[in-house]
Amino acid sequence: MADNQLADWREHALELETEINKVVVGQQRPVRLITTAIFARGHVLLEGDVGVGKTTLLRAFTRGIGGGYERIEGTIDLMPNDLVYHTYLGEDGRPHVDAGPLLRCGENLAVFFFNEINRARPQVHSLLLRVMAERTLSAFNKEHHFPHMLVFADRNQVEKEETFEIPSAARDRFMMEIPIAVPQDAEIMESLMFNTRFHNADKLVEGVKPDVLHFDQLNHMAVVLQDHIQASPTLRRYALDLWLAIKAPHQFGIKVEGIDTSRLVLAGASPRGMSMMLRAARVNAWLNGREAILPEDIHAVFHETIAHRLVFSPVYEMRRTEIARELLTNTIAAVAAP
Amino acid sequence: MKKLLLLLLLAVTPALADMTPAEDLPQDSRVKISVANPDRNVGFTVGDILERTVTLEVKKPYQLVKTSLPIVGYERRWKNQPTGIVLSRIGVDETSGGDTNRYVITLAYQIFTNNVVAKPATLPGEVIKFSAEGKQFDYRVPSWNFRISPIATYGQVIVEKDMSPFRGPFLMDDSRHQLALKACLAVFALSLVGLLYVLGVNTWLPRMGGPFAKAYRELRKLPADDEGLKKAVVRVHEALNKTAGSTVFNATGLLESKPGFLPVTAGLDQFFKLSRHVFFEPTAPHGLDQAPMAWLRQFCLACRNCERGMK
Repeated sequence: MADNQLADWREHALELETEINKVVVGQQRPVRLITTAIFARGHVLLEGDVGVGKTTLLRAFTRGIGGGYERIEGTIDLMPNDLVYHTYLGEDGRPHVDAGPLLRCGENLAVFFFNEINRARPQVHSLLLRVMAERTLSAFNKEHHFPHMLVFADRNQVEKEETFEIPSAARDRFMMEIPIAVPQDAEIMESLMFNTRFHNADKLVEGVKPDVLHFDQLNHMAVVLQDHIQASPTLRRYALDLWLAIKAPHQFGIKVEGIDTSRLVLAGASPRGMSMMLRAARVNAWLNGREAILPEDIHAVFHETIAHRLVFSPVYEMRRTEIARELLTNTIAAVAAP
Repeated sequence: MKKLLLLLLLAVTPALADMTPAEDLPQDSRVKISVANPDRNVGFTVGDILERTVTLEVKKPYQLVKTSLPIVGYERRWKNQPTGIVLSRIGVDETSGGDTNRYVITLAYQIFTNNVVAKPATLPGEVIKFSAEGKQFDYRVPSWNFRISPIATYGQVIVEKDMSPFRGPFLMDDSRHQLALKACLAVFALSLVGLLYVLGVNTWLPRMGGPFAKAYRELRKLPADDEGLKKAVVRVHEALNKTAGSTVFNATGLLESKPGFLPVTAGLDQFFKLSRHVFFEPTAPHGLDQAPMAWLRQFCLACRNCERGMK
């Protein structure tokens, strides 16, 4: 029964990918990773410059999975209550209170997009982190639940003025940090400039077939999927070795050019981070039609699920993106399986 | 400069001593002569026998007058004193050819004199007669000078004043040093052999120590059961990782750094399928139509051949 259900859902997942790739071109890998995060039920941090299509990508996914989509812009004066409600004087001259972006869709909220999260204050981060971890919110003397919500946050790594760095505890709540870059293919770049189809994002998103998946069934599917995809003892040992190697790279002979690896890592991946990596790896195995995780499945999500969790010595923090990439690449190259 | 000339003289003298130079030989249009003397002209002492060979070619019809040859046992005198050089043997070999008669005369002289210091002496010049049709002429074989050495040194010898060109410099005794050198060389050679043994365990031949060569030797000893197969797959993984210099997870990972393994691309893909089946997903088919262990050995052998550049 579960086998048939999984095969059926896999077809739908691949169909969703196809639909998204039709409207967001040249982003196959981010699309695959977001699909993975959706089925692994993990929140996602998007990293990329402005105007590369992050919002369009998320709206396209929301249309494909159904459910509510809400978005808020991170600003320095944004306060936590702005996420919950907003007040205004109505035409009748009386004050009114409306639900904020978090509450507006109720339990049907499927995607909550926090644009430029690092421009918001830590108080806002704090609220959002609770919502992400518990998928509940107390407001108006009531406990609100968001069982199907996935948070997608975006941060611009280039601009640092008037921003608040997301603390490591907050970064750790995100399953993945996915880089969204400008496509390198010249043909695609030209098409993005001259093809008028890409100029109207609303119309473009309408091109995605709606409700390919059912957002309210994803939690159940995720449980079935995680129970079904196996991890052999060899794979478990390999994942453990990877974890240990990230914590103490010098002990595994892992080198990063120009850096003393014995002083590089202050904190490696957390247990939550490693479990999220394995959840994502299981989904990747399933999307590739396998019933067990292979090392390749871990590799497919390794950078995106681990890099943002690492805490480096302050002297290396400014170069964390490139150092993390080299460290993790060399970790994969150094740890044998079997 | 004098020393240099002396050394030069010493060097060339023995070489010249064995043949008397042609210009020193008597000139006669009827006779052609060559003389082979002893190969050195010093270092003889009482009792030594010196041999010289005289070859004479005389034009026909002249022939050697045998009675003119020196008599064995005859001792020459010089200033009415016996010279101490006695002819102890003589031999004549006679051949005839063309327009000449050829005589090879072997003369052996024995020394019967000695002195407390080196003494000049001479093998006497013999006069030989040739005759034909009633005519006769004399031909003189040239003498040959040499030195007779004393048997023992007489009195105190001051080396600095005894600069005889007939004796080389006294040499220091280096036998102990030579022995020590030979012993050191022997120890060094033994150490090299030991080092070769340590470094060359199972790798005596070139390329015998490659990762796949070692893996193949181990695979041949492993049993064909499940446990043996697991060990074998791990061993081949280790060889792949060592060859590539990093962990290899697919054929591309190896071929990018080692294109010499291109001939086994299909085998590499098959190996990773087998590895997946053994270690990660037992339900996934390994796709082999023969026993996995036998195939793995063949694959490892093919990789070893690639490693050796044989394919």
